Amino acid sequence: MENLLAARAQMGTSLAFHIIFSLFGIGLPLFLCIAEGLALKTKNPTWLLLARRWAKASAVLFAIGAVSGTIISFELGLLWPTYTKFAGQVVGLPFLLEGFAFFVEAIFLGLYLYGWNRLSPRVHWLCSFPIWISGMLSAWFIISANSWMNTPAGFVIRNGQITDVNPWQAIFNPSMPYETIHMLLACFVVTSFVMAGIYAFAFLRGKRGEYYQKGLLLALLIALIATPLQIFTGDLNARFLAQAQPVKFAAMEGDFQTENGPPLRIGGIADPQTGQVYYAVEIPHGESLLLYLNLDGHVRGLDAFASQDWPNAIPYVHLSFDTMVGCGFFALLVVLLFWLFFWRQKQRVIERRWLLWGIILAGPCTAVAVICGWMVTEMGRQPWVINGFLRTSDAVTPAPWVSFSFLVFVIIYLLLAITLIRLLLGLMRQPLPQVQSLVETYSMGLEESAGV
Amino acid sequence: MSVALVALSLVWAGFIAYVALGGADFGAGVWDLLASGPAARRQHQFISRVLGPVWEANHVWLIFLLVGLMNLFPTAFATFMSALFIPLTIALVGIVLRGAGFIFRTHASQDKSMGNRLWSRVFSISSLLTPFFLGVSAAAVAGGQIRTSGITQTDLLTGWISPFSVAVGVMAVAQCATLAAVYLTAEAHAQGEKEFVAAYRLKALISSGLVSVLGILCVALSVTAAPWLWSGLLAHAFLYVGGTVIMGLLVLVMLLLKRYRLASLFVILETALMLISWGVSQYPYLIPPKLTIEQAANSPAMITTMLVALLIGMAIVLPSLFYLFRVFKWTPIVTPEETQAQ
Repeated sequence: MENLLAARAQMGTSLAFHIIFSLFGIGLPLFLCIAEGLALKTKNPTWLLLARRWAKASAVLFAIGAVSGTIISFELGLLWPTYTKFAGQVVGLPFLLEGFAFFVEAIFLGLYLYGWNRLSPRVHWLCSFPIWISGMLSAWFIISANSWMNTPAGFVIRNGQITDVNPWQAIFNPSMPYETIHMLLACFVVTSFVMAGIYAFAFLRGKRGEYYQKGLLLALLIALIATPLQIFTGDLNARFLAQAQPVKFAAMEGDFQTENGPPLRIGGIADPQTGQVYYAVEIPHGESLLLYLNLDGHVRGLDAFASQDWPNAIPYVHLSFDTMVGCGFFALLVVLLFWLFFWRQKQRVIERRWLLWGIILAGPCTAVAVICGWMVTEMGRQPWVINGFLRTSDAVTPAPWVSFSFLVFVIIYLLLAITLIRLLLGLMRQPLPQVQSLVETYSMGLEESAGV
Repeated sequence: MSVALVALSLVWAGFIAYVALGGADFGAGVWDLLASGPAARRQHQFISRVLGPVWEANHVWLIFLLVGLMNLFPTAFATFMSALFIPLTIALVGIVLRGAGFIFRTHASQDKSMGNRLWSRVFSISSLLTPFFLGVSAAAVAGGQIRTSGITQTDLLTGWISPFSVAVGVMAVAQCATLAAVYLTAEAHAQGEKEFVAAYRLKALISSGLVSVLGILCVALSVTAAPWLWSGLLAHAFLYVGGTVIMGLLVLVMLLLKRYRLASLFVILETALMLISWGVSQYPYLIPPKLTIEQAANSPAMITTMLVALLIGMAIVLPSLFYLFRVFKWTPIVTPEETQAQ
């Protein structure tokens, strides 16, 4: 494999793995905080039992998120030394702040996971706040660094040298608010649907009871809040991209020609050789309507830009975008249907098997949506690593063995993923302990919480 | 004192914290590997229990070190990462497998399953490999073995290997093992595990003896292998080297006197002085013999901004860390259930 392609493949695999597992590290702590808070308020041990179960899963997911994040910090340098040299001079601040946020998260997670018996219930609950707050902050910082790669700001190039660096302008670059909010919401959308899916599966298997009900309802409540917001911010993102990164926008919509009132092309193969999109479902004037609420809006196509600045995977960018949108709307449909039936039939909603299957399916769908969204962001920015300033091909390492290291890391990720999923399934299958009181739930399984 | 030097001193402090805390976790993995016989399983459990609450926080010092170098000294970071592609990739694989191995073996539902035993071995073997390759990489920098420009394929393949770098790699493993053995002795003592106290005390004595021998060897090798380091040591670092030796002796004395808390303190000071000796000997170079600290540094304005961020960050992190260690390390509570679980 060519070195550049191997490096991109290794980085892409690492990011996909890291994003999927660390988004639970951001989403789950909020669930822990809510469930333990409800337990303390209502004195109902079922809420605490939920929190204790989720805490075990968080321990594993957070650790894997941490090691895979370490891989990324090394790989930035190992695979893209020229990029780190450039980015380090301008956008170092969010990387540094992300390090601190991650530090706080790790410290309080240690306290939370191992402190059930060593801290008072109230202090223990309070320890969950820094976890989800710093989890969100660390995501915010790292995505602001990524958004800077899309819309670089806060520096001037003079005689080939970077000068006049303004680190705050770099952090608060134009696409920062759009990207960060969209990804933060994604953490809660995915976490809530995957969790809801687990309880929906339990209901399908004939499990009944307060524990499963509370788990399902809390998860779908968060989903009900996060999903519409996610679709709304997604729309804002697309409108923003049409202005700020028109090449990426044209690639994701499959617009080869500049047009007035372009149709919305759903699906299909966007072929850069012929400049056509084959097998797409076209909605006349659709794209123009979505962008401008106007039938004949002017949209620049790829032909308005030099072909050396086109992404080299246009068909994938377009399909990834449509897959993301499709998955997002499917999840929205599921959660709306659930609450509609719940409103009309209360508890009997869980007897609708097709709806339970829909919830189960929505979990993986939202995860796919996140990965596809990142494919659009990253592949759509090519051939640049820092948009308009540094080409990916100029940033790659001179070391010629990247194909080999890619192979090694693929094997590692496969091993990690298989073991992790088996472990989480094992945790889920453990029988529910019978608990009567809050105190009992706090002190149960001491040997487990001590990590033995 | 320039801002670049202040920045490097802080990064170096983070480096010391990583070796003293994270290094000990690797060392514990080395002892986990060497544990054998009927008591091995109990030793594994003891190590898991000690590492559990803190290893992730300890690991974050490495992230601190990486982002600090990348953003305060971008040129140096880019050079390390391209010239040391192979040893750092191996160390990275080790770091990943260590963390994953530990978490998988701790949370496996069945203690004696095949997968659990396998991950346990992965944990301990990668705990041995990682400090070795990190030590080798550090020595390659100190020895002036890496080029700042015009790196050839041969440089990438073998440029970082030399008797000096290998000796430093072995010494890094020995130092991690010493740190771990001293802490584990103190921990076992605090938890009333008499049998472990004796075992780890002996291990601490042996490994710190080994560190002394390797230390002398490394310094002797540096005369020809790392001339910049050697001349810097003679010129302005011999006081720190002397301090390191004294601290090393105090560790031995405290172990013999069975004052384990003090032994832990002195082994931390020994580690700190050892790394300070290295840093001071290398001054003013970040990558001898070409790149000085000032040349490698980011612009002073950026560094100043990041130093402010660093101070604010530390003002939040250090008290939190203190709380974490206070809850889990300095006030051990042994409840009846915990004794039964053992």
